[in-house]
Amino acid sequence: MITITPKRKFDVPIQAACINVDIFTGKTLEDIKKLAITEGKENLTLNDAFNITEDKTVETPNITLIGDFSKVKRIGQGMKTGEIIINGNAGMHTGEKLAGGKIVVNGNSDGWTGSEMKKGLIEIHGDAGDYTASPFRGTDTGGMKGGIIIVDGNVGSNVGCYLRGGTIKIKGSAGRFLGHHMSDGTIYIEKNCASRAGTFMTGGKIIINGTIELVMPTFTIDSIKPKVKVDATLNAPGPFYVFLGDIAEHGTGKIFALKTTNPALSTYEKYL
Amino acid sequence: MTEIIKSVVCPICGCLCDDLEVTVENNEIVKMKNGCAVCEAKMVHGYKSDERILEPHIRKNGKLVPVSMDEAIYKAAQILTDAKYPLLFGWTSSASETQHVGVELAEELGCALDNCCSVCHGPSVMAIQEIGIPTATLGQIRHRADLLVYWACDPWSAHPRHVERYTAFTDGRFEKSEFKEYVQKLKGKASKKKVEAAIRRTQVRYQPPPRPQTAIVEAPPPTLAKTGRKMIVFDVKKTMTAEVADYFVQVEPNSDYEIFGAMRCLVNDQEIDVDKVGGVPVEYLKEIVDAMVNADFGAIFFGLGLTQSVGRFRNIEIAIAMTRDLNRKTKFVISPMRGHFNVTGANTVFAWQTGYPFALDFSQGYPQYNPGEFTANDLLRRGDNDATLVISADPGAHFPKSSIQNMMKHPLITINPDWNAISRLGDVVFPAQWCGIEQAGTAYRMDSVAISLKKVVEAPKGVPSDEEIIKRILNKVRVIKAQKTRKDVTETKNVENKKI
Ligand code: SF4
Repeated sequence: MITITPKRKFDVPIQAACINVDIFTGKTLEDIKKLAITEGKENLTLNDAFNITEDKTVETPNITLIGDFSKVKRIGQGMKTGEIIINGNAGMHTGEKLAGGKIVVNGNSDGWTGSEMKKGLIEIHGDAGDYTASPFRGTDTGGMKGGIIIVDGNVGSNVGCYLRGGTIKIKGSAGRFLGHHMSDGTIYIEKNCASRAGTFMTGGKIIINGTIELVMPTFTIDSIKPKVKVDATLNAPGPFYVFLGDIAEHGTGKIFALKTTNPALSTYEKYL
Repeated sequence: MTEIIKSVVCPICGCLCDDLEVTVENNEIVKMKNGCAVCEAKMVHGYKSDERILEPHIRKNGKLVPVSMDEAIYKAAQILTDAKYPLLFGWTSSASETQHVGVELAEELGCALDNCCSVCHGPSVMAIQEIGIPTATLGQIRHRADLLVYWACDPWSAHPRHVERYTAFTDGRFEKSEFKEYVQKLKGKASKKKVEAAIRRTQVRYQPPPRPQTAIVEAPPPTLAKTGRKMIVFDVKKTMTAEVADYFVQVEPNSDYEIFGAMRCLVNDQEIDVDKVGGVPVEYLKEIVDAMVNADFGAIFFGLGLTQSVGRFRNIEIAIAMTRDLNRKTKFVISPMRGHFNVTGANTVFAWQTGYPFALDFSQGYPQYNPGEFTANDLLRRGDNDATLVISADPGAHFPKSSIQNMMKHPLITINPDWNAISRLGDVVFPAQWCGIEQAGTAYRMDSVAISLKKVVEAPKGVPSDEEIIKRILNKVRVIKAQKTRKDVTETKNVENKKI
């Protein structure tokens, strides 16, 4: 196991895509210390900014980061195997393009966490920022394709945009534009959801166990379902209002909103 | 000596009116024809105010003291090279030639580069990247458009000649001006008021009608079905533009997205399950959509009320999606109402140089783009950068407090013609010429048409153009970087000699 701690408080952002189990495997501690990172425009080695130690007796997790990493971007980018644990906050683009393995953040994570992810697991035991699991701007093919993201806290806006597969479970509340343009996959929210969920969606499902601020007029009521399947391990008990949409996009995505927590939606019952 | 210069371009708003007639007497503008009040305020009075910066200043012991240009250039270059991650911000009131050198400077420094569009129409640019845009030049719209929709913008106050030059009140080749009808409407209103006043005088105790508590949208007027030019305004309050429009729809704040969604369904002949969206009854929306579909050529203009309210670039995305849907039935275009006269130029120049229009980062040696990560306010709010250069912009007056507080923790260089809020806060303050008055150059109109700005008067002595300042800083930065890497003194001298 490699343990990395910051040597000082960082002011300007650090880009450290090299903190990645695939890159570390097969390298000696000395080689790892020489890996290139940037701090602003300055080119540094990993050793210039971080203290790095190795503990050969422990196998997993492969990398442990201890301290405040909120200014360190791109941790575990494109990782295929292995496990990274961050005991502190993680910066932007953590686990971007993840293709396997596991990343655990024992703190908050910033924007674009798990963006364009294909496989693997990201656990965030704090809040996640805006654009979690959403692709780079202007890419409509780059949405998350698979894997699981679990957030214990709240998430920001534009989470799960262009989602094409996989599961996002949020134990807190979600901001606006949740699952914007999603075409497949599942988003499950235990608490409340801001308005404009599922806009432009053509497939997949969003399950809201709390209150939804407003259902977009581009969604139409379909039915009331007693329960809904989140994934192989979880069935959410209902009853749920089921909305179909986004009809302006001729979509068949579904929003499930819990009946007991959404009395305002009872006006839709007359269309059933 | 009096000289009349014709076809001068107004360097203020994105309309870039190019028909001004300026009278110059003894190197001073004394009179102007054709321009609007905003234009006159700057071109005839504002540019020669007492607040003009005439020489470079450096902050020493907390006070700004005048210094020589060379000293200021050296100091600025040193600040920028010493910093790990500077931010270059502004650019929208400079000529495109300056913006071009700015990109070169940013690349040399490996820093963040952003322009004012990140606080105005940046979201429009992002939406265009998401979904594309069906648009037209203002000339097309002037000659052909018969339905004009202004959404969340007030050109009557912010782009005063937009309606008169490009849309409803101009005589196009195929569509006639609506100005006469507007005057008639005004007269009608005035006589109605007179009648009301007369009735009031006869009544002993006049009770004014109760004011409506919530916004009440009036039903669409029958004129919406007439042929010829029509104007519809959507806004949260009754603006000056709304007063002259055929129909004004007062929407609830932050509900434009829902209204666009509902209108998209109606354009696609779909049913919706609610009767009111954003305070507007769906039956009224139906009539508006009918008018849109029946138009021969419609144009939607949108402003900051969409780009900077809740939803931001998603608002524009859905507006463009609605325009796309409308194009299945008729011809419709959509266009942003860009603010500063060359903000479109900043986007165009940055995109042509780097591939990206704003929110750029060169720290990896190649351009990276990500609004939200590299936009000026996000960088400043997080305290990511450690030096700032502001050119032809005034974030001091317009940025949130937290951003400015973080900006002030690090050195600040400013390049502006006058003592605006940010110049007063600067550590190195450069004077600059007024672009479009004292300096010629290229600017891009809001529909991305390039227009050449004219020079009408000479700048005060010793005041260089911002292009020259940026070029000199760039050269100095190169010299300092060379000194850092090459210890050989003679080599450095050679580079210095090569200075342009
Ligand atoms: S509308 Fe704009 S460009 Fe035209 S004269 Fe007025 S301020 Fe200048």
